[in-house]
Amino acid sequence: MNNSDKICFVFDNQLTEIDFTKSEFRPSTTLLNYLRSLPTHKGVKEGCAEGDCGACTVVIAELNQQNQLEYKALDSCLVFLPMIHGKQIITIENLEQIVNKELKLHPVQQLMVENNGSQCGYCTPGIVMSLFALFKNHHQPEKEVIEDALTGNLCRCTGYKPIIEAAEKSCCNHGNDHFTEKQYEIIEMLLSINENKKSISLLHKEQEYFLPLNLKDALEFKKLYPNAVVISGATDTALRQTKKGEIIPQLIDLSQIEELKHFTKNNNSIEIGAGLTLEKAKNEVENIFPALFDILKVFGSLQIRNIATIGGNIGSASPIGDTLTFLFACKAFVKLQNLTSVRKVAIEDFIIGYRKTDTNADELITAVEIPLIPENVIIKSYKVSNRKDLDISTVSASFRLQLSNKNSVEEIIIAFGGMAAYTIRASKTVTYLIDKTWNRNTVEEAMEVLKTEFSPISDARAEKDYRAMAAANLLLKFWSEISLNQKD
Amino acid sequence: MESTQNQIYHDSAIKHVSGKSVYINDMDAGTQMLYGKVVYSPHAHAKILSFNIDKAKLVKGVHAVLSYKDIPGLNQMGPVIHDEPCLAEDKVNFIGQAIFLIAAETMEIAQKAEKLIEVEYEILKPILSIEKAIQYNQLLSTPRIIKRCNADEAMQKAKHRLSGMLKTGAQEHWYLETQTSLCVPGEMNEYMVYSSTQNPNETQAIVAEVLGIPRNEVVVEIRRMGGAFGGKETQGNHVAAWASLLSYHTRRPVKIHLFRDDDQIMTGKRHRFVSSYEIGFDDDGMITAYKAELNSDAGATADLSMAILERAVLHADNSYFIPNISIIGKAWKTNLPSNTAFRGFGGPQGIAVIENAIDRIARFLKKDALEIRYKNFYGINDRNTTHYDEVVENNRLYTIYDQLINSSEYLKRRKEIDDFNANNEFYKKGMALTPVKFGISFTTAFLNQAGALVNIYLDGTVLVNHGGTEMGQGLHTKMQQIAAIELGISPEFVKVNATNTSKVPNTSATAASSGTDMNGMAVKNAIDIIKERLLTVALSEFNQKTYPNPSEIKNIVFYNNVVFDKIHPDRIILFKELISKAYLQQVSLSSTGFYKTPNIYFDRETGKGHPFHYYAFGMAVSEVKVDTLTGQNEVLRTDILHDTGKSINEMIDIGQVEGAFVQGLGWVTTESIKWDKDGRLMNHSPDTYKIPTVNDIPADFRTALLKDAPNYNTIHKSKAVGEPPFILAFSVWLAIKDAISAVGNHQFEPDFELPATNEVILKSIEKIRLLSK
Ligand SMILES: Cc1cc2nc3c(=O)[nH]c(=O)nc-3n(C[C@H](O)[C@H](O)[C@H](O)COP(=O)(O)OP(=O)(O)OC[C@H]3O[C@@H](n4cnc5c(N)ncnc54)[C@H](O)[C@@H]3O)c2cc1C
Ligand code: FES
Ligand code: FES
Repeated sequence: MNNSDKICFVFDNQLTEIDFTKSEFRPSTTLLNYLRSLPTHKGVKEGCAEGDCGACTVVIAELNQQNQLEYKALDSCLVFLPMIHGKQIITIENLEQIVNKELKLHPVQQLMVENNGSQCGYCTPGIVMSLFALFKNHHQPEKEVIEDALTGNLCRCTGYKPIIEAAEKSCCNHGNDHFTEKQYEIIEMLLSINENKKSISLLHKEQEYFLPLNLKDALEFKKLYPNAVVISGATDTALRQTKKGEIIPQLIDLSQIEELKHFTKNNNSIEIGAGLTLEKAKNEVENIFPALFDILKVFGSLQIRNIATIGGNIGSASPIGDTLTFLFACKAFVKLQNLTSVRKVAIEDFIIGYRKTDTNADELITAVEIPLIPENVIIKSYKVSNRKDLDISTVSASFRLQLSNKNSVEEIIIAFGGMAAYTIRASKTVTYLIDKTWNRNTVEEAMEVLKTEFSPISDARAEKDYRAMAAANLLLKFWSEISLNQKD
Repeated sequence: MESTQNQIYHDSAIKHVSGKSVYINDMDAGTQMLYGKVVYSPHAHAKILSFNIDKAKLVKGVHAVLSYKDIPGLNQMGPVIHDEPCLAEDKVNFIGQAIFLIAAETMEIAQKAEKLIEVEYEILKPILSIEKAIQYNQLLSTPRIIKRCNADEAMQKAKHRLSGMLKTGAQEHWYLETQTSLCVPGEMNEYMVYSSTQNPNETQAIVAEVLGIPRNEVVVEIRRMGGAFGGKETQGNHVAAWASLLSYHTRRPVKIHLFRDDDQIMTGKRHRFVSSYEIGFDDDGMITAYKAELNSDAGATADLSMAILERAVLHADNSYFIPNISIIGKAWKTNLPSNTAFRGFGGPQGIAVIENAIDRIARFLKKDALEIRYKNFYGINDRNTTHYDEVVENNRLYTIYDQLINSSEYLKRRKEIDDFNANNEFYKKGMALTPVKFGISFTTAFLNQAGALVNIYLDGTVLVNHGGTEMGQGLHTKMQQIAAIELGISPEFVKVNATNTSKVPNTSATAASSGTDMNGMAVKNAIDIIKERLLTVALSEFNQKTYPNPSEIKNIVFYNNVVFDKIHPDRIILFKELISKAYLQQVSLSSTGFYKTPNIYFDRETGKGHPFHYYAFGMAVSEVKVDTLTGQNEVLRTDILHDTGKSINEMIDIGQVEGAFVQGLGWVTTESIKWDKDGRLMNHSPDTYKIPTVNDIPADFRTALLKDAPNYNTIHKSKAVGEPPFILAFSVWLAIKDAISAVGNHQFEPDFELPATNEVILKSIEKIRLLSK
């Protein structure tokens, strides 16, 4: 490996470097803390340091494969500085212009003013940045698109309505603004950074942070540092630092590896790169896997989905990992790789316990392979959470059903999240259902089995009896949606 | 004349949207500044046997580690009663109670030092619920009782009686800006304290007491808060006191900005209540008797609990005339952080009980709850005195009701909902209309006073100082408008200053929705005084050559940046010019102003009086859809009609109404708070504590202000707006109950509580399913 040791990005329209060997900052300093340490960038706010409030939202512009700029809103409290290498950071301070000595607000700012979109103003910089990303990416967006763009921004004062109106009124210029005028300059700068294809090792006295730019280097790092913590989007891992104050001594950051961001259609399956962000995955799967699409729509917030990856969701093996039940129902495979070999493991065998996976110390997850769904198979996924959006599942479930031509259950898979220490199949219930006639009676009987099949826990989100009840009812819901065609 | 000035934007809007508004955590006090950390109790109830902070002091970069022994003044920060130590001495009474303070060069260093503090505890049994507190007789203070006629007798005679129990939950303020304070020491005993506080005057008092110095040494200033909602009425004081202590010992600026989880763990919430009630009524649903006992969870200390309880008792009637009534309020001590003010200040908790009771009457009589509500509204000429003997004047319930029933198409939609429910097994819709009548004023009468200081400078610009604080509600904007209107100048020439105790002393908290009412009058008073002086100057200008038709004071008008005689319009002078003239004539261009709300009194012994200056009214109709298999639900439509008198700024008032409603929506649905068996807060971050997102507001959300409804005896005929609309969220709560009830075809009374989480809803539905089998 031929490494370089600094990161470089565009900030305030200028190339900016950080050399961590000389810096007071650790490599895993969050973008939020970096910005707030500067006297010029205190507009960005911390409301929670866990990705749940959006007060820290900034926008990142990065080059896509056609070398055009793509704008994404992110929660800067969860972004480690090296993740912005080769990108442009845009903060609230960058939106306005001074024209003829007068302050000229960006259209999204101006309409926030005119619609009384701020009260206490603390959430406002974050909201404006989400609106800015919306402005760049959508022309006259539908209400649903606006709401999705704002789900990750909590406001305790306004009740949101004037903010929605500000979005409706401002996002109507095909994304054209003063950033459009400057875009070629920025593209040039980003290209100049990205010319350098050397992987990056950031060695700080308290932390080693490796930023491989290709899969081979990543695997080499992993072999050299088998105990290093791997991150893709870091939305799960960053919390260890921001909430628990842990300093992770060694990190391997996969966020810059293009080879892990693929979405490939094969004859019988789809392969999703471990590093593909959930937002990109969501946009790809809408027609192929509507059940996955349904889940991804209510997964975190746009800011989270813009960096969180499918590999990270599988890799965290959390009992409430939202894509997992779907992957169970699809009989998906996880692809793993080390320097010498590639292997494929069925998702069920891959998840071996609470936050435990069958990954060897020298391996990385490279992709997930999802077989296409045969025509006579129905798959549906559900998420039950206390709040509709930006909430962790209380219970989640996916169902796969194949009926015989006599309307009996030929195959059924029922997978639950939130009911045990890890994603789990309802095998007793399945045994009960198999070969039975698929009607309400059978389903209701199966619900009784289901109610006693698991012993879920009571926690901050719900009591165990609610979990059991809701889980059983999801089976009825699944039945009603396919048999009565009744969906809200 | 006011209309041109009516639609100005929030005075900080441009700063908000461009990231230029400065909050205390954005303030830079130079390289000398230290970060303060509060070390708090991990036990809900324990004796502190011993502690050792010496090792923590040795950490490089640590400048102070303090315990109660280091408090130079009084170890107290209780706002009403001195029952709240600033730092725990020999006992801790809740998880989150401050014991030690650390000042260090970075937060990380402070955290490191914290780990080195050793404390030996003897753990005691905590009391963690109202029920337990009642069992152990942990009454905080004498119960508050308000009665009229004979509720017991009337109850006996009532044709029908229903009784029950209702639990309403706690609520976390979740201001986006957590509690923050920055203290900068000056010479000798001087301290400049920047504090995110709704009550700078009390913050000043407590800092002075804790440091053992007179109040004239302490200046408290607050430009703006990043939200407060009552959460910074008293509890902002704490952080200010802690920062000041650290500053005192290090002689350096010290900033404390609570980490979100710490803020949630350490600070008090909306009081949860367990209330029992009995209601008597006739076949038509006329209420003849109502008895309720409201029990609140005060937490570990008094804080504002008694005043909050009092407001709950005073609002137990909501909008209804109840001839025979007996309301008892009791606050109970528990081993939880001291609960505190939160938008509505107990009003919502009192109102929830009667609204739920009325909902039950309707189901019992098989009528629409709407009818029962309407029948029992306070009358215009009779049936119009409250249980505490105040007459409900200028009652707008009927006007609002008539308009809202029409605009919301209530009756038509009721039928559509019944049809939908008849045709859908797994989804049910529900709808409810709920009213609010909310009393405006501090119920502690002497608090109803405000001050202002208005300065006019020689360029004609005006600086307004007043005792109110800006937390997003637009108070400063309204003050700017009022000053502009009164002086007849454009609002851009008026600036409202950061609230500062050295400018306007001895003020009350910005609370009880009364910020504009009181400070607006005080600002007007100051301006009236200056104007009187300016009138003399103007007159002397105009009357230099006007004999024999001199200008008269009564004809002189301040309007449109000029001052003129309306009888002789050619006698005119630019406002700015008049100011210069006044200066040259050695006339003072600055004045203080003062206001006290007239005619407010309340006798706690008898429970009678005139505690409110006036009432604000409003109503909402909400429609919801519930997924009866999971309990998940959505608000399909809400129509609100709210009375803000003659609004000073409609956009800001609508913002207050919608914002309060959505905050209420959170309280009644997703904002569930639990403590574990040791008294540990389980929902201590937004990960598990869920306030509404953009997707939780009504899909169709229509808000209107009542037109042509000037209020009398208030600033520019306006009405207070901060708290009352919070209560309109009961329309969502009871619409959900209506949908649950539809599962059993309205034959069974659903189990219900507040918040109606998915879990509460589903469990209630499952019970009805069993009953209807
Ligand atoms: C505000 C917020 C909301 C959230 N909402 C949801 C939600 O709705 N549903 C949900 O399921 N989750 C949610 N999460 C959790 C988290 O965002 C997801 O699990 C996400 O998919 C993690 O992806 P990541 O790339 O960010 O993970 P990372 O933090 O980068 O990684 C997570 C884990 O996977 C491992 N890992 C990552 N990539 C690889 C790889 N290529 N090879 C081997 N191991 C790897 C890491 O070592 C780590 O243990 C939320 C998190 C936050 C902060
Ligand atoms: S600070 Fe709340 S999302 Fe980042
Ligand atoms: S304006 Fe206060 S939180 Fe949004």
